[in-house]
Amino acid sequence: MKTQARTISFWLLAMLTLVLLLIVLVPFAVVIAGAVLNTSFLGISTEQWAGDKGSSLFSFHWFSYVWGLYHSSFYFSLKLALLSVILCLLVGVPGGYVLAQSRLPGRRLIEALVMLPLALPGIAMSIALIQAYAVIRGAWWLILCGHLLYTIPFMVRLVINALRSFDLAELEACAQGLGATFRQRFTMIVIPSLRPSMIAGALMVFAVSWGEFNVSYLLNTPVNQTYPAALYATYTSNSFQVGSAATVIFLCVIIPALFGIQWLGSKTDSAINELA
Amino acid sequence: MKTRHAALFLLPLLVVVFALLLWPLCLLGYASLHRGGAFSIGNYLRIFADLAYCDALVHSLILSFLVAAFATLVCLGPAWFLAQHDFLGKRVIRAAFTLPLSLSGIMVGFLAIVMLGRVGFIPQSTERLTGTPWLSGAAYQLTGLVIAYLYFEIPRGVLSLESSLRKFDPQMTEAAASLGACGWQRFRWVILPLISPALFSTFALTFSVSLGSFGVALILSRRFSVLPLELFHQFTAMSDAPLASAMAIILAVVALAVQYAAHGLTNQMPR
Repeated sequence: MKTQARTISFWLLAMLTLVLLLIVLVPFAVVIAGAVLNTSFLGISTEQWAGDKGSSLFSFHWFSYVWGLYHSSFYFSLKLALLSVILCLLVGVPGGYVLAQSRLPGRRLIEALVMLPLALPGIAMSIALIQAYAVIRGAWWLILCGHLLYTIPFMVRLVINALRSFDLAELEACAQGLGATFRQRFTMIVIPSLRPSMIAGALMVFAVSWGEFNVSYLLNTPVNQTYPAALYATYTSNSFQVGSAATVIFLCVIIPALFGIQWLGSKTDSAINELA
Repeated sequence: MKTRHAALFLLPLLVVVFALLLWPLCLLGYASLHRGGAFSIGNYLRIFADLAYCDALVHSLILSFLVAAFATLVCLGPAWFLAQHDFLGKRVIRAAFTLPLSLSGIMVGFLAIVMLGRVGFIPQSTERLTGTPWLSGAAYQLTGLVIAYLYFEIPRGVLSLESSLRKFDPQMTEAAASLGACGWQRFRWVILPLISPALFSTFALTFSVSLGSFGVALILSRRFSVLPLELFHQFTAMSDAPLASAMAIILAVVALAVQYAAHGLTNQMPR
């Protein structure tokens, strides 16, 4: 943005940022090391950590163990996340378009309501949802509904922000003047101009759904166990190394999505920042 | 846009909002006001009469307050740095800061045990280095709980502050400096009034997220109970849905009130 002189305050802030970054990253490094390292490292004795006493330094034994136990949860969570993305695109993009473009009465209220799940405590919302649909408890798509509730605000907000950032109405009026039908305008102007936001929104929705725990855990059944619910099971009943390996598998899915969101550019990430 | 198109496009979203948000919330309110099939405010009275629940509520409020205050303070420097300076690898750094954002609370709890548990990384390595283990078992005490919650809020703090601070124009401080303001004066009379709306809204955001999150406490909390945890136990172990609903309503009202207050405060301030 602005190139300022690299003063003392610049380096001071850089140091602060670095320290906070280290605080954020070191636990991940320890967990990754714990998942693959075999012998004691940095003074952590292997016996206490219930390690594998093999002969080599690296071992991927725990990954195959976790995978054997929880691969169905992994696929189930993946399915939920992908379905959330599809549903959010189908419901959120047209809805956000109308909220941003039309003069419909009550659109401010609707927008506020769509955003409300992010402002409410997650556990309160989960309990409300579960009580309302207690009859169909155990159905896997009830978990999907919970994920949808938490992911749709991200998609709608990104779409609305993108549409408000430039004058799409004028562009559309132009096209209309040239004889374009509504369908043509929507598919050839609106959707292409929303593409970066839709991709960023899809990644965000994927990440949120993949990590969602509240609804997933409360609606957990042995058949419909999401990966975060499986993680909870390993944390409470397995050794540190099993938990670490399970965590690393979780991170392998989420990290590409997070980096993808940042790489999509400044247009969309400020909107994501505001939502965070 | 024709009204027919608008209605058609908006309908799915309205269905989702009604079926997944409004209807469940109405039922939640209804359940919290009923006991044994009859209308009663007994659930709320029981929460405020029972010391254990009151304690949990007070703990939740204090913990969230502490965490939100620390998070706003700790994240201010880095957020300022990311907002006002351009440098190589900024996106990598920002992506790294977003990492804990997608973790659910339970994973943050697990990380806290790995780092600060009885045989955690920090006690073990400090014992190796200095002879005495530092912070051994801190994860299970209040310190650990605050640190873990703080860790959970760092990405929210950094990202929400950064997006507001980006609007800050450095020429403001330059103008103040040319008029002879010293560093402290520039901070107190120029920067602080301009960024305080961002501080309030970040505080409100981190406060309400901490208030509602229970994953961290689910893994870490031993004696120190917070309201979301009590709610969870009432709902799952005790199957007392009306009481759990009343707790959920209290949590939701407090979270919304704090956010509304912060919103009101920021709107009153001169831009």
